[in-house]
Amino acid sequence: MIYTYLLFTLLILASLSCFAAKEKSATLITLFSSFVSIILSLIIWLSSTISTNFLYIDPISKIMLIVTAVIYTTTSLFSVSYFKHIKKPLLKQNLYWAFLNLFVLSMFFSVIAANLGLLWVGIEATTITSALLVAIDNNYPSIEASWRYIIIVSVGLIVSLVGIVFIYAQAHTLDIAYMIQNHQDKNRLILIGSAMAIIGFGTKAGIFPMHTWLPDVHGRSIAPISAIFSSVLLPSALFGIIRISQIAPFGQIKHFMFALGLLSVVFASIFMVNQKYYKRLFAYSSIENMGVILIGLSLGKTGLLGSIVLLISHAFAKSSAFYLTGNILSVYKTRKISDVNMLVKNMPYTAYGLILTSLAVTGAPPFATFVGEFLIIAAVYKIYGFAYFSILLLSLLVAFLSVNYKISRMSFLDGKAMQNNSCDMISAAVPLINTALAFAVLFAIPAINKILSGVLL
Amino acid sequence: MKEAFIIVGFLEITLAIFMQWQIYLKKIVTTFSISSYAISIFLAVDGIVLNNTNLLVLSALTAVIRGFFIPHFIRKKLNKECYLEREIKAIIPVAASIVVSLVFVVASYIVYHSTLYSFINIPGGSIPIALLFQGIFLIISRNNAFVQLVGYMVAENSLFLFGGYLFPELPFIIEGGILLDLIGVVMISGIIMKLREENVSSIVDEFEEFKG
Repeated sequence: MIYTYLLFTLLILASLSCFAAKEKSATLITLFSSFVSIILSLIIWLSSTISTNFLYIDPISKIMLIVTAVIYTTTSLFSVSYFKHIKKPLLKQNLYWAFLNLFVLSMFFSVIAANLGLLWVGIEATTITSALLVAIDNNYPSIEASWRYIIIVSVGLIVSLVGIVFIYAQAHTLDIAYMIQNHQDKNRLILIGSAMAIIGFGTKAGIFPMHTWLPDVHGRSIAPISAIFSSVLLPSALFGIIRISQIAPFGQIKHFMFALGLLSVVFASIFMVNQKYYKRLFAYSSIENMGVILIGLSLGKTGLLGSIVLLISHAFAKSSAFYLTGNILSVYKTRKISDVNMLVKNMPYTAYGLILTSLAVTGAPPFATFVGEFLIIAAVYKIYGFAYFSILLLSLLVAFLSVNYKISRMSFLDGKAMQNNSCDMISAAVPLINTALAFAVLFAIPAINKILSGVLL
Repeated sequence: MKEAFIIVGFLEITLAIFMQWQIYLKKIVTTFSISSYAISIFLAVDGIVLNNTNLLVLSALTAVIRGFFIPHFIRKKLNKECYLEREIKAIIPVAASIVVSLVFVVASYIVYHSTLYSFINIPGGSIPIALLFQGIFLIISRNNAFVQLVGYMVAENSLFLFGGYLFPELPFIIEGGILLDLIGVVMISGIIMKLREENVSSIVDEFEEFKG
């Protein structure tokens, strides 16, 4: 337990000192804090389940802590080299680091909260701490995207808060561990409350039909922020849905989650077909992946394992994809797919990295995303039958073809040679590390399966 | 307290509908301030009747933060940007928005009585639901970021009315956390809104990306 408090103290101190420190010191503080957070989250992984008045750290929380810590570190590293590409940043660099630390702190808080109300406070706090990071490019589209993000997500979270109040009305407690152990009676109040909470947290997770803020924010925020949003913020919001489904493990709630997940996959894959902007293309891919994860969560057992494997590997793969889009944007100065070509000649490391990450985010072997999706699809066939299985498979196929065709086009289509096409070592290396991690998750699947065996869903 | 709850709830709905037909932003903000004070007084009386200290603290925080601080913060912003005082064009015409607001009140009543009434057995239980819809509708029906922010806070007010009356034993840390969160949302929104006004773009291409 002491390591959890240490983790929080570390992040709070890092955030506060970044507000006061100079740019270089703030950078070093954040890098130090991010590396130490990986060590602390690994130590927490090794400890048993923690359940106190304020903390509830079960196996899923531990996985979320590690994934968040790793993405926090790679995002910090990538930001060091990326920040020079921002012409007139909204925040000074030390403030950027301070808000990034606070943002990570609020995500850590969300996944270890012992109380459903505090979990809500944590997820709402991620909005406050990240809104300015979205607008860091300091131009009208990024500011507009930030405003849409604040208002849409906040309204969604109000709906989830009403749902939480309904759950409280039935359970007379918001203690997560207690509610998981002592299932609530199935009645209309708990069903409506749970459904509202799922809609609210789903808004933050980019689940259809409340996803509208997501493509705008991912499309217009800078690459490291898009990366951390897609890889850990969306799963942190999904974590809220995991808690609700643990508290109210009823058939209707599972069907509701399945329907929302399937609609998200179908809708996102349709929008990917005609997508003209590469960052938005990956944003819709995030909606699609969150939809698949939600489907897996609704199925339990094999589906749950598939979801967690997909969640982890998607986090590494998608962050890598967004880092690489940052490299492309810094050289080509455009977000349009049609304006980017001959990547393999102009930016070979970026091109091959992007091809690999595109395969990873669309669930191609040998990446762990493939195993995650396979487990979920198999579970859908087993539980819901051929019709839903076909719809899901067809949608995933459309998404796969859309992303990989467009990325291949950007990589191999002939076009003009770029003069200034170099990116520094960190910008090139960080995405490759994350792509490799998306593959390495394969070897962790037995350990994930073992740790999830006691999870009730 | 049931009668007081219904009276305050009715007042809240009336004030929300008043906000729908207002085009002067300062009046909208003042109306929101009044509605927050009304909730604060209600929570205080409820706290005294139930001898519940948490409700009294919550009432004081509601008055200070939602009644005074946030409206003051928004008014200060409006004073600096005089052209923001009047909203030029709403997405939905005023008359239509009032009709829609009334429809929401009726719909909330029907939804409440057909779903929740058997569990939350109080006559005015549909009021907070109606207020929540009013807040969300204010956000949808207006272009102005300040009005959208007020709409968000109206929706939150409905929760305070709901939570404070029906579940006075709701852990205080939750409601305190929500209030602190609200301050954060308003402060950050203030910065974003200011930037939004300063950076207004007329380049159509910049918005092209937001389609699809």
